[in-house]
Amino acid sequence: MLRKTTRLFALAAALWLAACDNNPHPAPLHKTRPDGTPWVVRYQAIREDPRSFDPQYTYDQISRKVVEGVYDTLLEYHPMKTDPYELQPCMLAEMPVKAADGLSYDFRLKEGVRFHDDPCFPGGKGREVVAEDIQYVFQRIADPAVESPFESTFEECLVGMAETHKAAGKKLDYATQRVAGVEVLDRYRFRLRLTKKYPQILYWLAYQCTAPVAREAVAYYDGENGREDFRKFASVGTGPYRIVNYEPRSRVTLERVPNYTTTVFPSDGFPAAKAEWLKTLAGKALPFIDEIQLPIHHENIPRFLHFRQGYLDIMAVDKDSFNAMVSPMRTLSPEFQKRGTILEPAFEISTFWISFNMDDPVIGENLKLRQALAHATDSKRYAEIFYAGVAPVATQLLPSGIFGHDRERQKRYPFDLEKGKQLLAEAGYPGGRDKDGKQLELTLTGQGAGSEDRQRVEFDQRCFEQLGIAVKVNSVTFARLQDIEDRGDFQMCTTTGWGADYPDPENYFMLFYSKNVSPVGKNYFRFRHAEYDRIFEQMVVMENSPERLELTRKLQRILDDECPMVPTFHKAAYLTLQPWAPRTHNNLMYEVDGGHKYLVTDTVMRERLQRELNKPALWPAFVLGGLVLAGVVAFIGAVRRSKNQTA
Amino acid sequence: MLNYLIRRLLYAVPILLGVIFLTFVLFRVVNTPEHAAINALGPKSSVDARNAWIVNNGRDLPLYKQFATHTIQLATFDFQPSITTKRPMGETFREGVGPSLCVTLPGFILGLCLALVLSLYQVFVRNSAADRTITLICVVMMSLPTMVYIIFGQAVVALGLGWFPVSGFTKGLDAVRFLLLPVAIMAIISLGYDARMFRAVFLEEIAQDYVRTAHAKGLSATRVLSRHVLKNGLIALITLTVGQLPKLIMGTLLIESFFGIPGIGNVMVQGIQTSDEPVVLACAYLGALLYLAALILTDILYAAADPRIRLS
Repeated sequence: MLRKTTRLFALAAALWLAACDNNPHPAPLHKTRPDGTPWVVRYQAIREDPRSFDPQYTYDQISRKVVEGVYDTLLEYHPMKTDPYELQPCMLAEMPVKAADGLSYDFRLKEGVRFHDDPCFPGGKGREVVAEDIQYVFQRIADPAVESPFESTFEECLVGMAETHKAAGKKLDYATQRVAGVEVLDRYRFRLRLTKKYPQILYWLAYQCTAPVAREAVAYYDGENGREDFRKFASVGTGPYRIVNYEPRSRVTLERVPNYTTTVFPSDGFPAAKAEWLKTLAGKALPFIDEIQLPIHHENIPRFLHFRQGYLDIMAVDKDSFNAMVSPMRTLSPEFQKRGTILEPAFEISTFWISFNMDDPVIGENLKLRQALAHATDSKRYAEIFYAGVAPVATQLLPSGIFGHDRERQKRYPFDLEKGKQLLAEAGYPGGRDKDGKQLELTLTGQGAGSEDRQRVEFDQRCFEQLGIAVKVNSVTFARLQDIEDRGDFQMCTTTGWGADYPDPENYFMLFYSKNVSPVGKNYFRFRHAEYDRIFEQMVVMENSPERLELTRKLQRILDDECPMVPTFHKAAYLTLQPWAPRTHNNLMYEVDGGHKYLVTDTVMRERLQRELNKPALWPAFVLGGLVLAGVVAFIGAVRRSKNQTA
Repeated sequence: MLNYLIRRLLYAVPILLGVIFLTFVLFRVVNTPEHAAINALGPKSSVDARNAWIVNNGRDLPLYKQFATHTIQLATFDFQPSITTKRPMGETFREGVGPSLCVTLPGFILGLCLALVLSLYQVFVRNSAADRTITLICVVMMSLPTMVYIIFGQAVVALGLGWFPVSGFTKGLDAVRFLLLPVAIMAIISLGYDARMFRAVFLEEIAQDYVRTAHAKGLSATRVLSRHVLKNGLIALITLTVGQLPKLIMGTLLIESFFGIPGIGNVMVQGIQTSDEPVVLACAYLGALLYLAALILTDILYAAADPRIRLS
């Protein structure tokens, strides 16, 4: 019996020793590059599974982050010029040329840009990207079978998109049904014809939805005979990386594509603090990293623990890790300071607000009531509580980084309860009661999926109730909130906002344009203002200029005067980076931890620090083993005693 | 026996229909087609796109027609693909069963063995200080929520001691190092409850006449426990253990989610978080089906284990 026990212990010990490597990542694809230099791997977590790798179909942040390195776009954002953001050519040879009437743009593709090598091509060799591929991209967007969420956007601005989409029925015939607004001029040149002046079209060419895909790839990956479906998880791109492995609910692995030459590291726009270091990278071939591993972590705690062990290179600080990482002084905690961790704020290009329904008979027709509510909103405290003070208080509609954002601007309705109460009285509700003495009751609708969401809504509720009014909270799911806003079935909404699709003031001011009133567009506020519409229509077709800047100021003033919403904050988070993986860019259009091709990693430093951080403690194993052994001995002893007693 | 089986299977039909109806009401009545479209297409999708999605997915049909189609699809295992990833549910289940079983099966067997050994030992030394101490520890273990075990495992054993990866999964033999910690936690989570229950069952058995007879005939206490008490006690344990079988296949939500095990439990968590209707409906239906099957299997095993029980 003792021999058996010993064997069991030996087996357990062997298993334990084998498991004692706590590195959660599988071995990299290679150890060294072909030239013998070390193979560089980047590790960063994603929160969910990607929904698809098809650039014309996918719209969610996670999928975009995954395919960002796989599909190069025609234009791209300069990685450092972020105030305001600037476009630069990526697959294009030069910036597009606008026609004198502003109704068309001419483009020229770089020569020699190729799709990745893949079995879908004859001989497995990727072919060159040509202008005809751009026609194919827009055909895919028009094809109802692709279900591209971008179709409606291009339907409004691109000649022929609406007609092609309608004529296609259930599925487009690619041979005969072309998008008339996309003219192929020669092998590398094409023209986009617009239905109206729409300079924002260029931003959509920096979006993955217009990234070229190969018709051979779509035909080959048809979901039959064991092949993946292109609309799901096949990808044949033109970017610096290719997806080599996707294990659902586990990880995505990307590998550098050999001989990628489409872009190089920029030579200008460096922020002063990093200029000396970034100059050493200027003009160098991209990417710097050979492999990107994106483990999928649904939960915050394991993600934080992996970062703490040095097994993740970057992490956005969440509520579960905040107290461990950030001190009350808003600096890194001593433990992380000691190991050289970098703490940087990351400002998303977004604005959040409390919206008023202008069609509501109580709120919509009473400006002073809206102004009173605006004065009762304590955005600073809100940002301190829910965003650790890192999220800037919104003083205007436009977030930083968008042309028209005014750094010097002060909040039109600062937190001032006395002023709020005075305005409330002027609105016909002195002390929060109407002329019959009945307390005013308003309904505040907001997301209430989790406890933190509910706390946010309750915070706003308490703010308003300080005026003496009653506020009823309607907590709903995110999808229901969207639906309620679409239908206009609310008085006030909170926990909502807008993340920029592209960094142009049009993307924000269109939210208040009367022709965009929901459900047709995204004017949930149901704000209708003739003067606003007139200025908006002027501003939307202009290039950035002092005149355009003045128009954005006028639009903001109208919003301030009419108060259809109270801007509260611009979303931001603390980002922590390991000392071996500092950020080379601050471009949030690439997502917080995107821009993979510009990233660098010092693998030698990583290996050294990982070893230091992950020395296994062996003594508790001996204590535990001793306890188990004592238990077994006690058990055997009891059995023997029992036998002796029986004998 | 055959009559009994047929009758039990027929009983199962209304229960399954009830499950299908309840989940249908939750997702198709409470959750409107517009919500489903927003979930599928994103908050910035246009109304046209949402309307097209509603028509393409049959969500514009009268509810009774939707329910009929939905029931037929589930009954024939023709599950709808996920609305977020568009992956067929059959494929998702096939991929998920393996990782789930990798954690649940060894965790279940280990937990069962530990509970049996512990409870037999308690019976052996019943009413002693050791018995009382183990009982106290079991009660404490029963009182602790699963999250405590998980956080202790990840923060102390994986991070503090550095013995195991905090989370993750891989294919092949390398998976062992990722599985040891979740398997150990899975085994420990139910240890307190199981050991207490087994102890109660064995104590009841040990008071039976046949045990006294065995002792009177001169059999040792260990022999009486291992040959007689354990064997007869197992009949009562069938309910407990067979009832756990669906859990083995359907995985464990928290353990899989926190340890990054790409099993069916993880599928369910993601489905719930993203309001992925087909995923949640398919999981709920399969779960109900497996539980019903487990209950029928329990009855059959009862009859097989105890000749006094007749299935009629």
